[in-house]
Amino acid sequence: MLSLGAFAFAAPAMLGLLIALPAIYWLLRLIPPLPRLVRFPAIRLLIGLEPPEQTPMKMPWWLLLLRLLLAAALILAVARPLLNPQADLPGRGPLVLVIDDGWSSAPGWPTRLAHAERLIQRAERAGRPVVLLGTAPVALDAATPRRGALRPDEARTVLRALRPKPWPTDRVQALAELDQLGLDAAAHVVWLSDGLADEGAERFAARLRRFDSLQVVLPDAGQAPLLLLPPLAEGRDLKVKAQRAEASGPRRAAVQAVDDQGRIVARLEIDFAATATEGEGTLVAPAELRNRMSRLDIETQGGAGSAILLDERHRRRPVAVLGERAAAAGQPFLQEVYYLERALDPYVSLTIGDRETVLGRSTAVLLIPDGAAPSPADRNEIAAWIERGGIAVRFAGPRLAAGEDTLVPTRLRLGDRALGGVMSWGQPSVLAEFPANSPFLGIAIPKDVRVLQQVLAEPTPDLADTTWARLADGTPLVTAEKRGQGYLVLIHTTANTNWSNLALSGLFVNMLQRMVALSRGVAGDGVNKALKPWRTLDGFGRLGPPPAGAQALPVDAAETFKPRPATPPGLYGDENAQVAFNVGGRVPTLRPLVLPAGVATDRLSEQGETDLTRWFLLAALLLLLADLLISLWLRGLLWRALRPAGATALVAFAILSLPSGAEAQAPAAPAPQQRPGPPPLTDEEALRGSLDIRLAYIATGDSEVDQLSKAGLEGLSEILRNRTSVEPSEPVALDLERDEPRLYPLIYWPVTSVQPALSPRAAAALDRHLRTGGIVFIDTRDQHFAFDRRPGGNADLKRLLSGIETPPLVQMPSDHVLSKAFYLLSDMPGRWLGGKLWIEAGGGRVNDGVTTLVIGANDFAGAWAVDSRGRGQLPVSPGGETQREMSYRFGVNLVMHALTGNYKDDQVHIQDIMQRLRR
Amino acid sequence: MALSTLQRSIELAGTLPALLVAADRVAATVIQGVHGRRRVGQGDAFWQFRPYRSGDSLGRVDWRRSARSTRDLFVRETEWEAAASVWLWRDASASMDYASLKGIDTKAERAELLTLALASLLTDAGERVAALGSGARPITGRIAVRRLAEHFADERRVTKTPPSLPPTVPLSTHATVVLVSDWLDPLPGIEAMVRHYVGMGVRGHIVQVLDPAEEDLPFAGHVKFEGLETEGQHTIRRVEAVRGAYGAKLAAQRDGLQRIARPAGWTVHLHRTDKPPQTALLALYLAMADLARVNAA
Repeated sequence: MLSLGAFAFAAPAMLGLLIALPAIYWLLRLIPPLPRLVRFPAIRLLIGLEPPEQTPMKMPWWLLLLRLLLAAALILAVARPLLNPQADLPGRGPLVLVIDDGWSSAPGWPTRLAHAERLIQRAERAGRPVVLLGTAPVALDAATPRRGALRPDEARTVLRALRPKPWPTDRVQALAELDQLGLDAAAHVVWLSDGLADEGAERFAARLRRFDSLQVVLPDAGQAPLLLLPPLAEGRDLKVKAQRAEASGPRRAAVQAVDDQGRIVARLEIDFAATATEGEGTLVAPAELRNRMSRLDIETQGGAGSAILLDERHRRRPVAVLGERAAAAGQPFLQEVYYLERALDPYVSLTIGDRETVLGRSTAVLLIPDGAAPSPADRNEIAAWIERGGIAVRFAGPRLAAGEDTLVPTRLRLGDRALGGVMSWGQPSVLAEFPANSPFLGIAIPKDVRVLQQVLAEPTPDLADTTWARLADGTPLVTAEKRGQGYLVLIHTTANTNWSNLALSGLFVNMLQRMVALSRGVAGDGVNKALKPWRTLDGFGRLGPPPAGAQALPVDAAETFKPRPATPPGLYGDENAQVAFNVGGRVPTLRPLVLPAGVATDRLSEQGETDLTRWFLLAALLLLLADLLISLWLRGLLWRALRPAGATALVAFAILSLPSGAEAQAPAAPAPQQRPGPPPLTDEEALRGSLDIRLAYIATGDSEVDQLSKAGLEGLSEILRNRTSVEPSEPVALDLERDEPRLYPLIYWPVTSVQPALSPRAAAALDRHLRTGGIVFIDTRDQHFAFDRRPGGNADLKRLLSGIETPPLVQMPSDHVLSKAFYLLSDMPGRWLGGKLWIEAGGGRVNDGVTTLVIGANDFAGAWAVDSRGRGQLPVSPGGETQREMSYRFGVNLVMHALTGNYKDDQVHIQDIMQRLRR
Repeated sequence: MALSTLQRSIELAGTLPALLVAADRVAATVIQGVHGRRRVGQGDAFWQFRPYRSGDSLGRVDWRRSARSTRDLFVRETEWEAAASVWLWRDASASMDYASLKGIDTKAERAELLTLALASLLTDAGERVAALGSGARPITGRIAVRRLAEHFADERRVTKTPPSLPPTVPLSTHATVVLVSDWLDPLPGIEAMVRHYVGMGVRGHIVQVLDPAEEDLPFAGHVKFEGLETEGQHTIRRVEAVRGAYGAKLAAQRDGLQRIARPAGWTVHLHRTDKPPQTALLALYLAMADLARVNAA
C-alpha cells in the first residue's frame, strides 16, 4: 500500500503504468484526427486541389489533454485508490469479529454494520479469513449463520444478513460457541459491544483476551442503548420511565405515542439527570387519545428495547353510573354515586347520568346503584346490552331487597339480612378468601372490612360457581352470571356506607377496577389461559407476524416472561384481545460493561476509508464518452449520429409528456365556461333541439326576411323528407343573443342591414360552435346587384362577423364535396344565378375537410320558400322552375355535407382506398 | 391506366399547387416591372389606326373608321404578337439536391421554381412553352405551366439518375431554350451541347444556380469531401488553404460558360440560392424580351 496523506493506493505497482503516459502522448500527437465528412456537390472543382504547405494536421491541445486524462484515470483506477486509508490489521491469523446483536444493538445498527464491513475490508486486503460471531441467540426461523473461518466476501454476506434481535445477548452461550470453534490463539479479535454487562460478560471478556490481540468497540455515549419501561397509570396520567446503563451526564430522550395506524398521538420527553440511570416523564393525554395509543417509542432509537406495546391495561375504559351526580343532589356522603365516583374517577372515563345520558353511550361497564333501580323497559335494554358484551354491576339496597327484580345473576330471597344489629346475635361479617374462579383473586383483603347487611341468594346448585366473593359465613357477597358475551354482577351490599364499610376500603376500589378490567375480555376467562403469539417485535421494534417456532406463553407468563427466541416480545392472544409483553421490565437492570484492565477500546464510527476505484472508472467512462462525441463532432458526423437517436428521444419525450399535458389541460377546461356565453340550456330546449334534426335560421329582426327564412327552410325540409333519409322537423329560429347554436348542424344566416352586430357573448357562442364542428351558411342575398364581388365587400356581413374568428375563405373549387354530396351539381343557384360560393380555405386539412362557413349570395331561402300549397313563393330568375329545382338540390347537398362531412369525398376516392387496402 | 393517371393527379395535387403558387408569386412581382411589347405586329388585339399608305392591302382598311373621316382612309393595325416556342430544362440530377444552410432552398427547388415562374411569365405573355426532352409540343396558357410542373414531378419520380446535362434533341429554328443547372460539369460536354443547339439556330439562355457554400467554400480544417453523385471522395488537409484556388477554378468554370455562350449569342445568368429568385427571373425575362425586340427589328 502506498500512502500519500489522506490518499493511498492499494495496488501501487499499477502506478508504474503512468510511465506509459508520455508514450501515449507521442502516439496521440502522431496520429492526425480523422477528417470531417462533408457532402459537397462541387467536388469536381476540388479534385486536384492540395494545400501548398504539408504541415501535419495537429490534434487540438484540449483533445490531447482529454485523452491523456482518460489514460491517467484508467491507470489510477487499476491502482485501487483509497481515501482516508486505514492501517493494516494488527496481529496475524484470522479476524474474529464478535458482534453484540441483542435488542441493545438496534440504535446505531448501520454504524455497527459499516464498522464491521470496514474491518472485513481490511481483512480482505490482508488476505486474512474472518470469523463472525453474534452474541445473541439466533432467531428460531433464521438459518443458522455460518460459523468458522470464512473468506472475507463470504463473511460480508453473512454480516449483511445479520439483524439485531429483540432479546438480550447471551454471552454464556456465545462463549460456548466460541469454544466450539476451536480457534487458534493467533487471531485478532474485535468485539463490537453494546456496552452492557450480563452474567457471562466477564468470563467472555477474559476468554477473548486469550487471543493475540483484542479490541473492544463501544457505542458512543449518544448511541448508548436506552430501555423503555412499561408505563404506570397514575390517575389520569401515564408515568413513562426509561433506563440506561451508565450515568454519563444529562441526556434527554423523546418518547412518542403512536396509534395502531402509525399516527403520532402524543409526545413527551424523558430527562436523565447527570448522575441518574433512570429518567421519567409524564404523558398527559385525554382519555380518548390515551385509548388510541398502541405503542410508545423512544425516538431515534428504533429497537425492541425502546418500544413498549400497550394493551388494554393501559387504557381508560368508559364507565357509566346510573344515577345523579352526588354534588347535585346534596348530602354527598349518603349518595351511592359519590363513592363510586371517588373510587373510579382517576382510572376510568366516568359518565354519570340518568338513563338517557348513560344508556345511549357506548360504555364498557355500567354501574347501577340501588337508588337508580331500572324500570322493566330499561331492564330489557340493559339485558340486551349485556348480551353484546357489556358488564353491568348492580348494588343491593333496600329497594332491591324489597322488590321483585329479575335483572340479577341469581335468585334472591325477599328481604335483607342484617348482621350485628341490636336485634341480632351475629357479628358483622368479614370477607372470606376469594374463590379460585373469582376475578378478584389475588387482591389483599383488609382486616377491617365489615358487612352489616346484605341480600341473600337462594341456595342453588350452581351458586358456588357464580359467586365471586363471599363472607366468612359462606353467604355470597358478589355473584356474577355470564350472559352472552357480558356479565351481570351483583354486589350484595350497598355502594354507600349504609350496609357495610366496604365502600370506604381500598378493597372496593380494587374490586371495581378488576371488574372494569374484566371488560377487556382478556382477563376473566383469558387470564389463566396460555397465550399464543399474535404479533411480535423484531430487533428494530417493528411489529410483524410471529416467527415460526414462537411458542405460546404459559399461564404464569405475567410473572415469568423473558424475551428469548421462543418467546419474542410482542402481542400475545388473538385478534380480539391481546396482552403486550415487552422487553422493558423483563430484562435485568442495565449495568455498564466492565472490561478487564488493559483492553484496547475504540468507539463505533461511521467514517472509514473509501475505495475510489469506481469513481476513477466512472471519470474515465465519462471522458471516453466526451471523446467519442468530440470525435464525431470534429468529423461532422455528430448530427448524423444523433438524429435517429434524437428522434427516438423526441418521441419518448412526447409520450412521456402526454399525460402531463393532459393533466395540464384538465384544470384549464373550466376556463371556457367563464367566457361569456349564453346561459346553459334548459332540458326542454335541449330535448327540443336534439331529439329531431332541425334546420335553424338566425332571426335577424327583419320580420320579412325571417318569414322568408322560415318558409325557405320549411320548403327545403319538405324536399329532404321526400327525397332523402333525412327527416327534419320544423325549422327553428335562433336568436344568437339568447339561444345556444350548438344543437343545430346547419344554421342559415341571411345577411340584412337591420341586424345589429353580435354581442361578445353571442359571438363567443357562435365562435365556439364553429370551432367545434358546426356549419353556418351565410347568405348575403345581394347577387342581383353585387355581381360576384368578394364577400368581404359586403359591409353588413363584415359587421355581423366582426366578433367571430373567421377562417380564411376561398372560392369553392368545382370539385368540392358540396358539389357531389348528394346530387352532382355544377353550379349552386338560389333566387339568382351565378353568385360564387365561398368556403373555408385549408384544403381538407382543417376540420377533416368540412367547411365551417359557407357564404353565398344567391338568396337561397328565397328560392326554397314555398307557400302553403307547396308552390314557390317568389319568382326565380333567370332559370325559372328548373333553377329552383337546382337550388333545392344545392340545399340537399348542403344538408348532406353538414350531416355526413366529407363522406362523399371519400367515396370518390374509393378506388384509391381499395387499392391501398389490397396492398 | 385510368388508375395510374388518377393516382398521379392525386400526388400532384399535393405538391403542385404550392410550387405553382410560389412561381406565380415570383412571376407577379416581376411582371410589374415589365411593360408589354407595345409595337405593331401580327396579332388579334387592336393596336392603333394609321392613315392609309400606298401599298397597304385594301382588306386592312377599316371602313367604319374611315367613314368618320372626311378625306383619309384608315388602316387598322394590331399589336405584335410573336408567339415563340420556349423549351425549358432544369437540372434534376442528384448534385442539385443540396442546400448548405437551413432555411434556404436546395438548388433543385430553386431551379424548378425559376423554371416554372418563367413559364408562367411566358405563357401570360402568350408564349408557348414545353419541357425540353419531354417530347410534348409547346403550348400556351395556364395549362402549359401545369403540364410543365407535372412533367417535372413525373421526372423526379420516374428517373433514377437524371442527367446533369440537357438532352440534345432536334428543335425547330427560332426556338429558344432556357437551361437551368449548376453547370459544374466539365466544359467540353457543355460546349458540345450548346454547339448542337446553336447549329440548329436555336437561341438560348443559361442560368447557373449555385449554393452559397459552393461559391464561398466556407469549410476549414481537415475535411473529406464526398460528392452527391458518383464523383467519389476527396480529402483536403486544410481547406482554408485551398479556398483561393477553388475560387479561381469556379471563376474559370464561369468564364468557360461565358466563352461558350457569348459567340452563339446566348446569355449566362448567375443565381445564388440565398438570394431572392425575383432578381434572377427579372434579368432572365428582360434578356428574353430584349432578344425578342432584336428579333422584331
